[in-house]
Formats: sequence, structure tokens, C-alpha cells
Amino acid sequence: MSAGQSAAVADQLRALLAEITGRPDLLSVPDEVALFGAGIGLDSLGGTLLLRQVQRRYGVDVAAEDLNLDSLETLGTLAAFIADRI
Amino acid sequence: MTSEPAVIKCVIWDIDNTLLHGVYLESGERPPEADPQLVAVLHELAGRGILNALASRNPPAAADYVQKLTGADFAAIECGWGSKADAVGRIAAGLSLAPDALAFVDDDMIERAEVAAAFPDVLVLTPEDAAEAPDWPQFSPAVITAEARRRGQMYAERRRRQAEAAAFGGSRDEFVRHVGTRVTIAPAEPADLPRLHELSVRTHQLNSAGEPVSQDELARHLAAPGDAVVQVTLADDFGDDGLVGAAISTGNDGSRGSVESVPAMIVVTVPLIMMSCRALGRGALDALLAWLCRAAVASGAAELQIPCLVSERNVPMRLALAAAGLRAEPGSLAADGRATFSRSLTGELPALPDWVSAG
Repeated sequence: MSAGQSAAVADQLRALLAEITGRPDLLSVPDEVALFGAGIGLDSLGGTLLLRQVQRRYGVDVAAEDLNLDSLETLGTLAAFIADRI
Repeated sequence: MTSEPAVIKCVIWDIDNTLLHGVYLESGERPPEADPQLVAVLHELAGRGILNALASRNPPAAADYVQKLTGADFAAIECGWGSKADAVGRIAAGLSLAPDALAFVDDDMIERAEVAAAFPDVLVLTPEDAAEAPDWPQFSPAVITAEARRRGQMYAERRRRQAEAAAFGGSRDEFVRHVGTRVTIAPAEPADLPRLHELSVRTHQLNSAGEPVSQDELARHLAAPGDAVVQVTLADDFGDDGLVGAAISTGNDGSRGSVESVPAMIVVTVPLIMMSCRALGRGALDALLAWLCRAAVASGAAELQIPCLVSERNVPMRLALAAAGLRAEPGSLAADGRATFSRSLTGELPALPDWVSAG
């Protein structure tokens, strides 16, 4: 994995998140902001839609590979998880 | 495993030469009559809590005509010139239903073959089959509750809610507030048990146990000291969804306390948490998890444990567990496909929004 690849995935994820949540402000959200809770506030519906798009776009089944879904901690951790597998 | 066939939750109907005696667009001034036998089936299924939907190669006006003619509530409508398989896929996604919960009725052999090839788990029927369907076990849920009878109407409310959400500019959190969401969490009563059993059969995406819980078992938890059964109701300005979820917790009196490494530590365990997929994206599950954390703290527990089946279908449940701060020991997935997710109850707990009232 290259840092550049992870950054490119992160940008694509920002676009996905903005679309799923209907919040254009997420297009500029930093890598280290938490996806759940007080961060972006992603809920289980948003998370499911995001994982579905990730699987469709990158062929990475995050839910099958990551029991705790820790890869969804931040946008940056999810991008790194995906970039490691493509 | 039981050999019982999966219970169908939604029947997707073709219009031309299926619900109608003829072809809508070829009928000139007078559109065709409805097939009276299938109209009776539509209403019989709706009365059993099974949804009806339309998938038709027709302009949307054909669906309006069928709705008026039959008086039925359709939970989803796909009219257009694309493939029936794509229409079935969109209906399944829109209603959050798995293919094995769907039946598809079409007079056209090619349409039936296309849907069967794309979705091997969908029950594909001819109109003649469908006329008999009310006698089949797949169309005979064991218990029909008040919620079940209102199901078609609630999906129509959901269509209107989704249209509002698509036009709304803010976050989902703001939307939940904007539409006046109200969640109540209260102890279950014996009269709620049929509905809770039904929920345990019908819920998959938001179900931790992954298997039905009988009314007897629910009654045992209701009676056992230290156990609690709580139920969740959900309503907003679009409609009242009634009882949508529940959780069973054990060890609230400290009786099942102690984990091996820390004998004095009280642990509350949640053998079942479940929520109707109608509640998905409406804050009710996150609210229930936040409430369970607080109830466990109130009974003196230091840790909350939720054993959860890890499957492809209940990823939304695992997401909610993760969002509420619950984690499983990496590599702890047991041979039965389950893992125990837990969290410490010291420190910051997940937020409980002010539109939640707890009884």
C-alpha cells in the first residue's frame, strides 16, 4: 500500500459519506475524525450503506474481515484498511 | 435447522395479465378489470401482515389505476421499462428485505425466469400459483398481531417519510428530530409476548441472537428475578409504528455477576436485542443500547455483555454495537458463529437523546 493510494481512497470515501448522509460538509472532513458517536455520527443504517458501497466499489468485505469493525473508527483507518486490500 | 419454509414478507405483483385481466396500455378508453381472485389474495395477505408491491412495465399511471381499482396499500411500486430483476432488487433494498422473504408473481415465463436466475431465493409464482398461495405455509405466519395487520399502511407512511428525508438538507440526526421522532422504552407486559415472539422470528438485520425466542422463553425471562424484558415503541409525525423492538437482560440483581478474572465484578448480559428494520436509521436501536448501558449501571454492573451471532445479514446490528462502544475479543468467534461483545460501564456512556422517554 502507498500513502497516496490510501489518500485517494479516503477522498472517495468522503464523497460516499457526503452522499449517504446528505451532508456536503463531509467532503472536507479530516481523516482522523471518528465515524461514529460525537464525530460524524454515522448510525447503523449509514454504516451499512457505506459498507455496501465499499464492497461494490473495491470488492472489500469489511464486515467479514473485521469482527469488531474497528476499521470504521475513522475515515483514515477505513481508507487504510481498504487500500491494504486492493 | 428446521425444515419449515421461510415466511414470505412481501409479494411483488406484475400488473398486465396478472392483477389485471388484460394489458393496461392496449386497452384503449376502458382499462381492464382486475382479477377478482387475485384481488382477494392481495387483501387476505395484507390482513396477515404480508406486504404487497408492484413491478410493472408500464407508466406510473398503471400503478395508480391498480391501487384505486383494488383498494390495496402497496409498500413499493416499480413502474418502468427496465428489467424485472432490477425492479425486484430495488424493492428488496428499499424495504430492507432479503430475497428469501420475497415472492414474485408474473404471467410471463421469461420475466419469471429472469427473476429466478437473478435471485434464486425469491419464490417465483405464476398467477395460478398465487391464487392458491394463501393456503401455503410460506404465507401463513403463526401469529398475526395488530402491528402485522397495519404493516402495509406503515410501509406507505414509510414511503412518504423517505420522500421527506430525500428533500431534507440536514444530517440524519437532525431529520430524526425534524420529524418529531418519539421512542419509549418500558418493561414488557405478558400481553406483549406474541408481538415480541413475532419480532424475534421476523427480525434479522437488527437481531443479536439470530434465532427465534419462544413465548414460553420470553415468559420465563419476564418472571425470573434479575431478568428484565424491555420493549421499544416508535412514532413520528408520519405515523405510529407501535412496538418495534425489545431486549432481554439478565444479571440485573448481580446474580450472574463475576467474570472469571474479576470475581467481584457484576456483569449484565443481554441474550437478545432486536429491532424491526422499519426502525433502521431512526435512532431507536442506538437509543435502546444507550438505555441498556444506563440500566446496567443503575443495577451496579461494571460491564455490559451482548453475545451476538456474526452473520452477513446482521451487519447493521454489529455496526450499532460498535457505535455503542461494544467490542469482542479479536479471534473470539466461536464455532457456532457467535462472539461476545462487551463494554466497560465506567467512563462516558453513549448519548441518550431527549426524544427518548423511559418508563
